Amino acid sequence: MSKEHIGEFEELILTLVAALKDDAYGAAITEEIESKLAREVNLSAVHVTLYRLEDKGFIKSELGGGTSMRGGRKKRIFTITSAGMAMLKNIKDSRLKLWNMVPELKIAAE
Amino acid sequence: MKEQDQIIPHWVRRFLQLICPEYLYEEIEGDLIYRYNRDLLKHNKNKAKRRLVWNAIRFFRPGILMRNNFTKGLNYQIMLKYHLLVAWRVLLKNKLFSFTNVSGLAIGFACCIFITMYVLDELSYDQYHGKAHRIYRLLHNSGNLADTVSTSNNPADYSVWGNAPVATALKAEFPEVEQVVRFSGRASTVLRKGDNIFNEPNIFIVDSTVFDVFSWKFVAGDPETALAQPNSVVLTESTAQKYFGDEDPLGQTIEVDAIAGRINERSTCMVTGILADIPHNSHFTFDVLLPMSMFKKSRPGVFTAWGYVDSYTYFVVPEGFDIAVLQAKMHAFTRRHVTEWSYNLMIEPLSKAYLYSKAKRQPGVTGNLSNIYIFSAIAVFILFIACINFMNLSTARSMTRAKEVGVRKVAGAQQGVLRAQFLTEAVLLSLLAGVLSLAIALLLLPSFQALTGKQLSYELILAPKVLTALLAATIVSGFFAGFYPAMVLSSFRPSQVLKGILKASFQGAALRKGLVVFQFTLSIALIAGTVVVFSQLEHLRSIDTGFNQEQMLVINFDYDGKVQERLEMIKNEFEKHPSIISAAASRTVPGGHFPKATTLIETATGEMQSKAPDLYEVDFDFIPHFDIDVVAGRAYSRDFPADTANSLVINEAAARLWGYTNPEDALGRKFSQWGKEGRIIGVVKDFNYVSLHNKVEPLTLRLEPRYSMSYLTLQVTQNDLPATIREVEQKWASLAPHRPFLYSFLDDSFNRQYQADVRFGKVFGVFAMLAIFIACLGLFALAAWTAERRIKEIGIRRVLGASFGQIVSLLSADFMKLVLISMLIATPLAWYAMTRWLESFAYQVGIRWWIFAVAGLTAAVIALITVSFQSVKAASMNPARSLRTE
Repeated sequence: MSKEHIGEFEELILTLVAALKDDAYGAAITEEIESKLAREVNLSAVHVTLYRLEDKGFIKSELGGGTSMRGGRKKRIFTITSAGMAMLKNIKDSRLKLWNMVPELKIAAE
Repeated sequence: MKEQDQIIPHWVRRFLQLICPEYLYEEIEGDLIYRYNRDLLKHNKNKAKRRLVWNAIRFFRPGILMRNNFTKGLNYQIMLKYHLLVAWRVLLKNKLFSFTNVSGLAIGFACCIFITMYVLDELSYDQYHGKAHRIYRLLHNSGNLADTVSTSNNPADYSVWGNAPVATALKAEFPEVEQVVRFSGRASTVLRKGDNIFNEPNIFIVDSTVFDVFSWKFVAGDPETALAQPNSVVLTESTAQKYFGDEDPLGQTIEVDAIAGRINERSTCMVTGILADIPHNSHFTFDVLLPMSMFKKSRPGVFTAWGYVDSYTYFVVPEGFDIAVLQAKMHAFTRRHVTEWSYNLMIEPLSKAYLYSKAKRQPGVTGNLSNIYIFSAIAVFILFIACINFMNLSTARSMTRAKEVGVRKVAGAQQGVLRAQFLTEAVLLSLLAGVLSLAIALLLLPSFQALTGKQLSYELILAPKVLTALLAATIVSGFFAGFYPAMVLSSFRPSQVLKGILKASFQGAALRKGLVVFQFTLSIALIAGTVVVFSQLEHLRSIDTGFNQEQMLVINFDYDGKVQERLEMIKNEFEKHPSIISAAASRTVPGGHFPKATTLIETATGEMQSKAPDLYEVDFDFIPHFDIDVVAGRAYSRDFPADTANSLVINEAAARLWGYTNPEDALGRKFSQWGKEGRIIGVVKDFNYVSLHNKVEPLTLRLEPRYSMSYLTLQVTQNDLPATIREVEQKWASLAPHRPFLYSFLDDSFNRQYQADVRFGKVFGVFAMLAIFIACLGLFALAAWTAERRIKEIGIRRVLGASFGQIVSLLSADFMKLVLISMLIATPLAWYAMTRWLESFAYQVGIRWWIFAVAGLTAAVIALITVSFQSVKAASMNPARSLRTE
């Protein structure tokens, strides 16, 4: 088990990178959070978190193509690494374990 | 695509470029544009734009900013090493340039070190006492019940010196006053231990509580009991050394002669305590302490008389006590005890005693706050001038380094790297100067001590505060001086520079000229200031003080009873000597200390009005001896024996004080003073018996030839002074064998009053010289560079027939114009500043136009010499040679 812990927002972003696959870049992730979770986030916050996750080795990035929507500027496409995937699974497992300890939730889960 | 480019406003883009690491910049910009386009679907254009700007600004956060450094982190150390290497090479390559800068800056820093030491020392006064922040002292003010001054809140109307009973009452009536201590006025008397007989001029008689208030360091003895018993004495270490040598003084006895007015007879005292020498940063210092109980035994009346002035009162309050509460109670307190006249008290914290106190009658020398400001300002100016040298020379030389910049840029150097390079050079230079300045400071400390008359220790230079300040100053100056050149140099365009097109920037030249003007303005103003200070001092010396101070040998016998008894005889004996013209005795001499005396004099309407004029107690010979003009009536005379009992001579100011503008009118008026009543018999011309900072105050000259004499003044002839002094000393030894022979010359001691002013002038002058020196260093290098750059032009001119003189003037004229402009700016500045300075003198020298002409001319001549040195060199070069060089 990795000693590295990640925060709630980091976890959210990491999950989204995994979910969006080839279309995971700053603006897209921001939009996704806003539409799916109805939560206001700032673009810069997402960017900073992405870079941090990359530093930690949970995601990696490469420059992708530009679109006219973005004035021809290239995107930075993020993809989840196996370490990142392991981290996500780990989080999910440990959450589930904890969930099972909560009586009401246990019933609901069964 | 074009229109998409313009979505992000220019300034926002610049901002993003500045804060974002380059490798992230594109995607961030892309994301911003993308979001903007999305927003356009939902909002109107303006709102979308606002959101765009806001989103961009939000990228200003550590997560982005720090990323800049992370990527450079590895590179940075390597670059720094490289920058330092290049900077070192540049330094060695341009020796003149480096020397000018480093030495100029070093002198600037050394000035700053000295000034910092000076200021720190001034601010450190009395701070060594453990209870320093809780110690306060009383300021006293007495006046007529009806007088308006009596309710003054201006500390300048108050004196530190006051009565004795107030201290006892203060302690008894206010529980918040933890401890009180009184000091008598500074006393002097002779101490004897076997053959070691010395006059001790620095004695205080103090309450035994003194060591509860002040925390001087005890070397030996117990502070609790040291002064508890009468006939005990506490000495400082070096004083004890004088009498006891290497013996242990504790428990030994020492003879203390009587102290006039305080301790009536000679007594044998036991040494009960030895103090380490009193630190020089004390607002008063002393060598000997005697217990107040001895004073009390001799003159018990003093300790109940609220009108008798001979005490300084200091007290301690508890931690956190609000002194304003106590101050508010002072009015009622003084009214309770004193009803016959108006008596007021103010409370002054110890921390204000040295630098801020405006009160009169201080126990020691006080500092001068404005000097601190003036000197600090000058130090900053000098540093400024040195920094300007650097800026000027660096930008001037930019032409020479343009190619280097071009090549570096072509090789891939970014502007930031180049900027870092030039800043490193500047800071390195500045650090070098800092180290050099430490050496200068250590070397010149003795001279600085002599200049300021302050005991500044070597340790102070290496004190953490000073070193930190120095390091900060070097780095800040390095950045300050290097910033502009770095910006200019790093912005050259390689394509143009390498082609050799370099438009001599008009802006740069204008700035350079502006800075030179600034330097010279400061220098000229400082020179003018120096001239004003010294002409004022000369003026003070040349003013007719109204009395004869030449060739006056003053013997101080300190109210010695035996001498006073035989004074007439002693005077006669001295007057027999061929080189002694006349002799007179008095309580004080001009420039010395004197009391005020409550005096009643009849006004024109016949009413007896009470005032407190200054008091001189004199003998029959004093007025003719000092050649003081009598403007009305007569001086005291032996022909009128009753003079001792019922006559008074006053000065014109005193006559005016009682309303007699014509001195004749004051004659024959009744007076009453200190138990003597009678009539005014004469009015003397106002003579300046105190320093010329002040106008002549009202003075009464009281005839008291028998009981109040302390000084004997002999007017001696010019010829063979050393022999005369020797003979006077021998005679004194035979006439008063028990008194040491203490003499001084009146003009010396009178002029000592201007010591602080003379010092101020000298310090000012030294700094002015340094300023002009550094400014000229810069000018020298600038001229050298100009001459070098115009070498071909000069060659061609010479070939075409220009004369030597023409070329020299061509090269010098530009600089001289700048000096001229500086002169025009400096004149009103200096005039204003010096007018303010002169306000502290009652007798001012007029500021003449020639002072500024002299200052300007001095600067111009020095500048001309500096510049023409280079001009002549350039003009005398063989044109064939200069034209051939490439």
